[in-house]
Amino acid sequence: MSAPTVVHAPRRRRIDGWRWASRFFLVFMLIYTAVPMAWMMVTSIKSGFAAMAFPPEWWPSEPTLASYRNLLDPQNSVGRDFLRFFWNSLYVSTLTTILAVLVAVPAAYAFSRFRFPGRQFLFFSVLLRNMFPAVIFLVPLFILMRFLGLVNTHGSLVLTYLTFGLPLAIWLLKGFYDNIPIQLEQAARIDGATRFQAFVLIVMPLSVPGIIATAIYSFIGAWNEYIYAYTFLSKNEQLTLPVGVQRFFSENTTDFPGLMAASFMMSVPVVVLFLILQKYFVRALTEGAVKH
Amino acid sequence: MTDVTAQSRPAARPGGTRSDLLRQIWISRADYLYVLPAIVVMLVVIAYPIYYTVDLSFYKTPPGLQLKDKSFVWFDNYTTILTSGVFWRVTLNTVIWTIASTLIAFVLGYALALALHREFAGRGIMRAIFIVPWVISAVAASYIWKWIYHSDFGIIGVVMVQLGIVDRPPNFIDSVNTVLPSLIVVNIWREFPFAMIMMMAGLQTVPEQLLRAAQVDGASAWQRFWHVTFPHLRGVSTVTVLLLAVANFNSFIIPWIMTGGGPSNASHIWITHIYELAFGRQRWGVASAYSVLLFIILMTLGYFYVRALSQGERRERGA
Amino acid sequence: MAHVILKDLVKSYGSVYAVRDVSLTVNDGEFVALVGPSGCGKTTTLNLVAGLIPITSGDIMIGDRIVNDLDPKDRDIAMVFQNYALYPNKTVYKNLAFPLQMRRMTTHDMDQKVRDAARMLDITHLLERLPRELSGGQQQRVALGRALVRDPAVFLMDEPLSNLDAKLRVQMRSEIKRFHQDFDATIIYVTHDQLEAVTMADKMAVMNGGYLQQYDTPAQVFANPVNLFVASFVGSPAMSLIPLEAATNGGTTMLSSAEGWTIALSDQNARKVQRAKSKKVVLGARHSAIRLHKTQVEGAVPAKVYTVEPTGDVTFVQVFLSGAVVNISLPPTFEVEPDEQVWLEFDQNRMHLFDGETELALND
Repeated sequence: MSAPTVVHAPRRRRIDGWRWASRFFLVFMLIYTAVPMAWMMVTSIKSGFAAMAFPPEWWPSEPTLASYRNLLDPQNSVGRDFLRFFWNSLYVSTLTTILAVLVAVPAAYAFSRFRFPGRQFLFFSVLLRNMFPAVIFLVPLFILMRFLGLVNTHGSLVLTYLTFGLPLAIWLLKGFYDNIPIQLEQAARIDGATRFQAFVLIVMPLSVPGIIATAIYSFIGAWNEYIYAYTFLSKNEQLTLPVGVQRFFSENTTDFPGLMAASFMMSVPVVVLFLILQKYFVRALTEGAVKH
Repeated sequence: MTDVTAQSRPAARPGGTRSDLLRQIWISRADYLYVLPAIVVMLVVIAYPIYYTVDLSFYKTPPGLQLKDKSFVWFDNYTTILTSGVFWRVTLNTVIWTIASTLIAFVLGYALALALHREFAGRGIMRAIFIVPWVISAVAASYIWKWIYHSDFGIIGVVMVQLGIVDRPPNFIDSVNTVLPSLIVVNIWREFPFAMIMMMAGLQTVPEQLLRAAQVDGASAWQRFWHVTFPHLRGVSTVTVLLLAVANFNSFIIPWIMTGGGPSNASHIWITHIYELAFGRQRWGVASAYSVLLFIILMTLGYFYVRALSQGERRERGA
Repeated sequence: MAHVILKDLVKSYGSVYAVRDVSLTVNDGEFVALVGPSGCGKTTTLNLVAGLIPITSGDIMIGDRIVNDLDPKDRDIAMVFQNYALYPNKTVYKNLAFPLQMRRMTTHDMDQKVRDAARMLDITHLLERLPRELSGGQQQRVALGRALVRDPAVFLMDEPLSNLDAKLRVQMRSEIKRFHQDFDATIIYVTHDQLEAVTMADKMAVMNGGYLQQYDTPAQVFANPVNLFVASFVGSPAMSLIPLEAATNGGTTMLSSAEGWTIALSDQNARKVQRAKSKKVVLGARHSAIRLHKTQVEGAVPAKVYTVEPTGDVTFVQVFLSGAVVNISLPPTFEVEPDEQVWLEFDQNRMHLFDGETELALND
């Protein structure tokens, strides 16, 4: 019985080697990922003067929430603007999300279940939209929006955000529907439901995780979008957060604590939303996009 | 009971004729209602702009969008582009940017997915932290890193000085030599989480039995990965790499906000360059011609993208 | 309850035919099994009756109505699926109530019916559970309950037992049979397991390649299979089929093998063989219609034992004969070894003969 031990010893050392490599790698990635975010937060609670100290303070000697108070105070002009941008972003993102779900759900269902002529072609042309950068569409869309009278309205943003969110939303949801056994709908139709009732009463409730994933995706995409908002909107009171913050700080280039506080505030809603609902997103990816 | 024949319909025999296709379309007319909203939105916001861009690329346009004064110039815009030195500079930047960002982000994401696949304490928190850079807006990310790279107060520079590596903080994004790599680091920071999520989802589909079988056959951890996991995830990997490549090719926000393409075009990539031509210098015709070229490149990439996806689709229907 | 008539039913996808010219009548209260290997068109046929897929041509009558173009919900049918298709997000109670809800029944009547059905199937204690909290057999009963609660004209069942383990399958088999007897239900039952069809059904419809091969009582199908396919499909272990050639020698008709031996045929069997299109004839015999001898006897042919499988009551022996595998059942006391030389004697009265060209049974 001595042979197994001899074989076992070097093997174990090799596994440990991998484990150490993996730990080292994880630590490295944690530093790479977290330090910039930590530094953002540390800077945001410094005074403007302290941020420019040399050598920098790793932790501010006099932490202050002045930057946040400034941004969130509706009494002063900065706070008024920032809250306005925040509200605009929220409005545009929510509306986009609702519309995206309303449009993507039936489309994904049809692509999953029905076998109509041209289905394949339509499905891939929808997906192809993912390929093209915003810039290609900017000029013509700007002219189209002018034609539709939507320049300087949030409607122009909602309409464009819809299109870039839809392809992946449809793709994700289709994968979800592919995994719901068709027998459930057949059973419902035999039990007396119409095709539409079977969809609404049986399939829809089962696809809630997929719909949540789609909604998160659309919301985050809309919340973070920059280039269309930058091009389509010019009136200050309509700007969304990314553009508003950029405009504001291109005039106050040295207020780094303010800029970091604004970046932090801008990130909080999407990060919280995503962390709460990430399990749906990963599940949707696994069932939809990955598991073929 | 026997007079069923009297009411029976004439047998419709299938065939491959055109009227048959029309009949098929007519039969499934209700199905199209479900996809109609999606198609209409796509047509308005995609098909029309594409047509418009191609058309405009053959015109010389005056500044401002006074487009009724445009004049037809055949391929002048295209020759202008291909003979300018900036074009080649920007193209080289784009190639470096796209390939480096895509490959490094993919490898980091894949490795993280593998490292996080095993159950251990703190795994959930780590995963959450790793996802954050992908979720926050690129605008916020750009400002954070701009501050980190700051030539006087940026922490990287300060740490390098304190460690004695350099005498004074380097000009990460103000120097022609370092600006592109510095921006690529930011871009990877934003994108590796996407690769990680995709590959984590993929890893869940690797059959446990296969790995066990390989282990019983005496395969080391590396061999198990190379002979079982890696081939199993080839499909997901292809899709992930393609999606990353397309996203990187189409990047705009990070270079635009952090450097605006400077210094002296060192960080301009195609998209920022097109944007500057159109909205900065108002050369709409040239910008459109650029877009069309971009379009052709993307269609080529798109061909592979669709092929990768439709292979997945075929596999799924075969199952 | 009602009868069901299929007349020249055809389903094709492009040039691929899933169901071809199937005609059969299911009488009121009859239990009919559609049986065949996978891809034979049995499930497609069931889905056509249910209205889940449109027919290409032909007619379907349920009761006295032609239902060709009716929606599934208007056909007055209930269906039990292989994977049960219980609504995963609804409790057992709500699963049972769903068909009644769709018919806009009052809450009071609905409650009454759901509870009645639950009592009959002994699932009252499960009413508040979700499907995923049930065992396979319990899910199966709920699926039956959901079909039963509606009081439909016809029950359609698509391999309802194939997801259960072997023991439970036997138990549910008798429960479904009991269910049929108690409710005088008209049932169309799809299965790939010929044993289920034989044990449960009043009549079985054997399908292959989209065609209906034979439609008769299990006893008739077992005793008189119309062609080679049915002969090989029905019965376990399968009927042994040995390809031979017909020959005559001095007025006696016999079957001869390539190995050189011959079997002389009785007058009746000789008449059958003379109806064959060519000399090619396939001899079929069930395991109990063959006698195995350890010594050479008159009329027996030489063969070699391949495997011996004792099952307790019976020992099954597989023997190589003229390139075919022959199954024989023997009493467990009979001792025989693999590779042993043996002699086989075929019972002339229980012998099946098939035309080697057309594969059809040769009849007197």
